[in-house]
Amino acid sequence: MRVGFVLDDAPVEVEVAADQMLVDALRDLGRLSVRQTCGIGVCGACTVLVDGEPASGCLMLTAQVEGRSVTTVDGLPSEDPVLAAFTEAHAFQCGWCTPGMVLTVKAMLADDATVQRDEAAAALGGNLCRCGCYSRILDAVDLAAQQITSRSSKEQ
Amino acid sequence: MTPDPRATGAQRYSVDADMPGQLHAALVRSTVAHGVVRSIDTSAVPPGTAVLVAQDVADLPLYGCQIADQRVLAGDRVRFAGDVVAAVAAPTAAEARAAAQAVLVDIDELPGVFDALEATREDAPLLHESLSVSDNEAAYFGIRPVRGTNICHRFRIRHGDVDAGFAGAAVVVEGTFRTPSAAHAPMEPHATVGRFTDDGRLEIVTGTQTPFNLRMELAALFGMDEEDVRVVVPPMGGSFGAKTFTRIEAIVAALARKTGRPIKLVLDRTEEFVTLNRHPSIVQVRLGATAQGDLVAKAVTCWADTGAYADCGPGVAQKMGFAAPGPYRLPHCSVDAYAVYTNTPPNGAYRGYGAMQSIWASERTMDMLAAKLGMSPLDLRRRNLLRDGDIYPTGETMHDTCFAELLERAATAVDYEADPTGKGLSLIMKGMQTPSRAAIAVEREGEDGYVVRCATTEIGQGSRRTLQLLAAEQLGCRPEQIRVPDPDTDRVPFDTRTTSSRSTAMMGRALVVACAALLEDGRRGYGEISEPGGLDPDTGQGIASSHWHQAAAAAEVSVDEETGVVRLARVHCPVYAGRVVNAPGADLQNEGAMFMGLGTALFEAIDFSQGQVTNANLSDYNIPTAEDVGACTHELVEREGAPIHGLGETALPPVPPAIGNALASLGIELYDLPMTSERVLAAIDRRAAGPVDAALEARES
Repeated sequence: MRVGFVLDDAPVEVEVAADQMLVDALRDLGRLSVRQTCGIGVCGACTVLVDGEPASGCLMLTAQVEGRSVTTVDGLPSEDPVLAAFTEAHAFQCGWCTPGMVLTVKAMLADDATVQRDEAAAALGGNLCRCGCYSRILDAVDLAAQQITSRSSKEQ
Repeated sequence: MTPDPRATGAQRYSVDADMPGQLHAALVRSTVAHGVVRSIDTSAVPPGTAVLVAQDVADLPLYGCQIADQRVLAGDRVRFAGDVVAAVAAPTAAEARAAAQAVLVDIDELPGVFDALEATREDAPLLHESLSVSDNEAAYFGIRPVRGTNICHRFRIRHGDVDAGFAGAAVVVEGTFRTPSAAHAPMEPHATVGRFTDDGRLEIVTGTQTPFNLRMELAALFGMDEEDVRVVVPPMGGSFGAKTFTRIEAIVAALARKTGRPIKLVLDRTEEFVTLNRHPSIVQVRLGATAQGDLVAKAVTCWADTGAYADCGPGVAQKMGFAAPGPYRLPHCSVDAYAVYTNTPPNGAYRGYGAMQSIWASERTMDMLAAKLGMSPLDLRRRNLLRDGDIYPTGETMHDTCFAELLERAATAVDYEADPTGKGLSLIMKGMQTPSRAAIAVEREGEDGYVVRCATTEIGQGSRRTLQLLAAEQLGCRPEQIRVPDPDTDRVPFDTRTTSSRSTAMMGRALVVACAALLEDGRRGYGEISEPGGLDPDTGQGIASSHWHQAAAAAEVSVDEETGVVRLARVHCPVYAGRVVNAPGADLQNEGAMFMGLGTALFEAIDFSQGQVTNANLSDYNIPTAEDVGACTHELVEREGAPIHGLGETALPPVPPAIGNALASLGIELYDLPMTSERVLAAIDRRAAGPVDAALEARES
């Protein structure tokens, strides 16, 4: 079947099997930052944003994104505050889970840039980091939140 | 600031590696824990799918990094539920998985054995009829298989006269402690792509901490010169010991040989739980002291369940054994450690490498002894801890010790002396692989750059950055001028492996030598470092570790006595670093090890039913999340002029006993990991039934 959607701000159309999962379609499209890991939607390493909301690429059929907008970290500009915050905070070791973390944090801060540390920890419950970089990931959330709030206060 | 490639998702792993014209592989596994394979029916496999069965690999010898006990495919005998009996290759991964499911395997089940102690009984089913020591470099110490039993290695320490020591003890405590199997659960699964080239070389791209051990093993398997096998190692998405020695690489190579095509194999999450796990252990400890609290004798017996194939189980059992005395002066000590086969998935290197298991037992025993002496656990440790110049039961003289400072830092963090209720301490030492050698080369590159060629693999521990920083310091340039490419056995000097927290300590020192040589030569420099040592397996005498990894931990807990839930108010882990090179990397490694220790302490265990893993996924097997770790803090202790100490694993082993001892201060005595709510509730019931000794006797009868 043919599925058309917007991937990182550009329209794409793919020919896929009806049972193909989104993670596989995105990897076929070169989005290797989207990583099959647990296959059951608990680890968050294949997280993408679908119309701005985090979704597990291993649980979603490609067909389900017909007409919708899908964002991966590849679609973020290099000056993105969350990317900068993760880099500045050294919020990774092996880096496997980081793209999923970044996207979850993007959505979290878009929803509420004043999120508290314990709320952020709870919101990251679906993103596992076996290296255990959680403290610095939460530091990165703080840094990104500051950046976003100071930007929006300047704009006002 | 340019965003890091790990943040942008630009970092590439073995999973992302492809070779032109590759086929995708999938594995067919035994569904029973022990059995004889009657037939393999491949008639339902779609045409165009390659199938690899035992006959295809019958010409390949037995392999194994320390004991040669494994075949590339299991053959007519399967020894664990998950043993690979056949492999298929097809144009896509989905077709390969479907084809693997179409292979029908008929197995007659044999009786199995699933517990290390039961496996040592005379009537236990025997897993391997004959055992021969491997000629891989990983078999670097005297391995002592016990013929005609399931014991593939036994190791002993004999120091002083233990019977005489106990005869002179005023107080003796003893206990039996168990730790379960656990999953490394690296986020990236095992992934390998490989091919035979037109000129007959074997090329493998894989996630492995042991590129040269792998090269050695593949060359021996396929009857090739080591120089004709090339292993390239991209960064790994975590490993923690899981990606060591030969895992799926030999099957990939055998499929490539059969098909004449490149082969790619990526395991799924369920398969990760039957590929390599942590050694379950049973550790018996007997510890005696004078009435004043001076330790006089310790006797320890450890059984390390190495699963169906030895892998590096002999090494793990040995390390479990020589970590068992602990960081205390012991005039008399004996240790007996055994690596034992059972019908469970192979167990191998796991962050801590056996030390965690005997440390759990030993540090819990210290608090039991303190209770019986009516002494503070802090004072008991202070009184007995090792200082420079003390002799360890292996006969080696302790140097660069930091135990006193680590202990005080841990105690202070929880204000232990003011009120020890609900609080626990632990103090630990862990060895680095000894003997050990490392080699590295540095070359000028372009106008003002340098390239570092070395086999140290990047697992997330930050070795690449550490080498950049060290080289820049030596060469007087910026770290960005140093390039550290992926390890490639065709291009880097031979090195043993990236394990045992040895890379910064060993490779770092070799790099300093190489940089000095380059400055002399102008173009290139080579550096090599070796640390002699090793232990006599029959007496445990020698040098166990060229330097010791040292740490303490403190925990403060409260317990919901209705539900058994343990709440952590505080966990603090001071670790001795000697000197820190890469500050964020060291900090992250230390914290990550501590968090992994938290999982080990409270909830991580692979569950089995008759040898079958029953929680082979990340929903039933839980690992720590961002919400679990808020109470944990840590610190790296440095000293002016001190050498670099490895620190990739050290913070894991002290966490479980610190929490266990905190519970013990509330009368909740636990002997088995993890400390689940169920076990806590059972211990609360035991407390209600009577004093500690009575509970122990009840348990042992």
